[in-house]
Amino acid sequence: MEEAVLIRAAQKGDPDAFEQLVHAYDRGVLRVAMNLLRSTEDAYDAYQETFLRVFKSLHLFRFDCNFQTWLYRVATNVCLDHLRKRKVRREEPAVVETEEGQWNRMDNLPEDRAQADPQRNLLNRQLGERIEAVLQGLTAKERMVFELRHYQGFRLRAIGEALGASEEAAKTCLFRATQKMRAALGDFV
Amino acid sequence: MNCESATRSFSLFLYGELSIEEEQSFQDHLEGCAGCRKAFEAEKAIHQALDAREKLPPAPLLARCRRDLKLRLDVTAARPAPWRAWFGWWPALVRPAGALALVAVGFFAARWTSAPRPDNTLDPMVSRVRYVQPESSGKVRVVIEDTRQRFLTGDPGDEQIHRLLLAATRESSDAGLRAESMDILSAQPASNELRGTLLYALEHDPNPGVRLKALDALKPYASAPDVRGALAKALLADDNPGIRTQAIDLLMQKKEEAMVGLLQELVQKESDSYVGLRCQKALREMDASVGTF
Repeated sequence: MEEAVLIRAAQKGDPDAFEQLVHAYDRGVLRVAMNLLRSTEDAYDAYQETFLRVFKSLHLFRFDCNFQTWLYRVATNVCLDHLRKRKVRREEPAVVETEEGQWNRMDNLPEDRAQADPQRNLLNRQLGERIEAVLQGLTAKERMVFELRHYQGFRLRAIGEALGASEEAAKTCLFRATQKMRAALGDFV
Repeated sequence: MNCESATRSFSLFLYGELSIEEEQSFQDHLEGCAGCRKAFEAEKAIHQALDAREKLPPAPLLARCRRDLKLRLDVTAARPAPWRAWFGWWPALVRPAGALALVAVGFFAARWTSAPRPDNTLDPMVSRVRYVQPESSGKVRVVIEDTRQRFLTGDPGDEQIHRLLLAATRESSDAGLRAESMDILSAQPASNELRGTLLYALEHDPNPGVRLKALDALKPYASAPDVRGALAKALLADDNPGIRTQAIDLLMQKKEEAMVGLLQELVQKESDSYVGLRCQKALREMDASVGTF
């Protein structure tokens, strides 16, 4: 069903329509929350809070912007609120705990490839560690902009809208993030 | 375009964020500059390395998020919007559940507050015929019972309002009203009375969404012995896997030896695979065996 039709149905109180909207976007929202908050429980809370807020304020959505952008504006605000609430910045482990075990971006390479070339596997692990370290070194906004642009495919204008900033500000954030990546990884690739 | 501006454009080019003119200028510069071409190749390699590390959140976590959200939405959807409470109340007259809720509120209000004041009453909300008596004149006497709404406004911490909220949390027949009252109460300072009400809801509320909300509100008390007892009971007896998962999470905030047996028992009888996995993980975290011998 077309998204606008789903949104209108959800605004009229159709629970199935709202569920379809949730399922269309919730992986991305959860991913952003996990990458930014680096805690399964916090990401879980951010997911719940985001979609409950969206549910309660969906009647205010007037189709004057893209629904995904509007949804991510809520999600990014929730995540940034969570970060602000952490008065003392927690240590952000490279390995994120999940119910099915540890989620480590460094261990993301296919196993057969790793077994076939141990040296390459070692290099990839080291590269993964570098990437993890540089991601941790980004500010919350830089990480958010990078996540939304690189992994979620958002345009910079939409990222600016989602963060309540200008496109230029989002571009500057992205530039700083990629500059840090380049400095940390440039000699490795 | 010079080397400095070309370097600034590497990522923007790869993300497709340059205008057509900027792209053309960028490509023209690369064609004539071997240094920038080499640096750009390195930038592309960085992007590829980052792409290779993309991973979606684990499916069990997503499933848990969806399941619990559904529970919370069921409860949230049952609450009337504020505008509907004041202007859209007529449909409630034809809905038995709505009428029951109104009657219940009226009952609590009568129980917990002083005599009604004429300045805060509204028009009759529900009328029903209680008695019909034919008269010798040929007329009929009809006795009508009106249920009236009245409103009280005050700080949630005011004693009267607080008691009404506690009563609504425990006794209202409307799940939405119970959840709404619980939400307001859970933002209030901790008290034994509030804790008792939340524990009662966790154990007795028929709506899983309300029970889940009670669990959320019990987080600040999670290390208290009576709360841990109620969590253990919910873990073994609640039929909703979302509640059981949350109960494990709260219990695991304070790892105690006594939990090992409880978790091992649950692993043996748990029918939900996600809760089972969560249990096994909790046991591993406590260096305990998953099975009993």
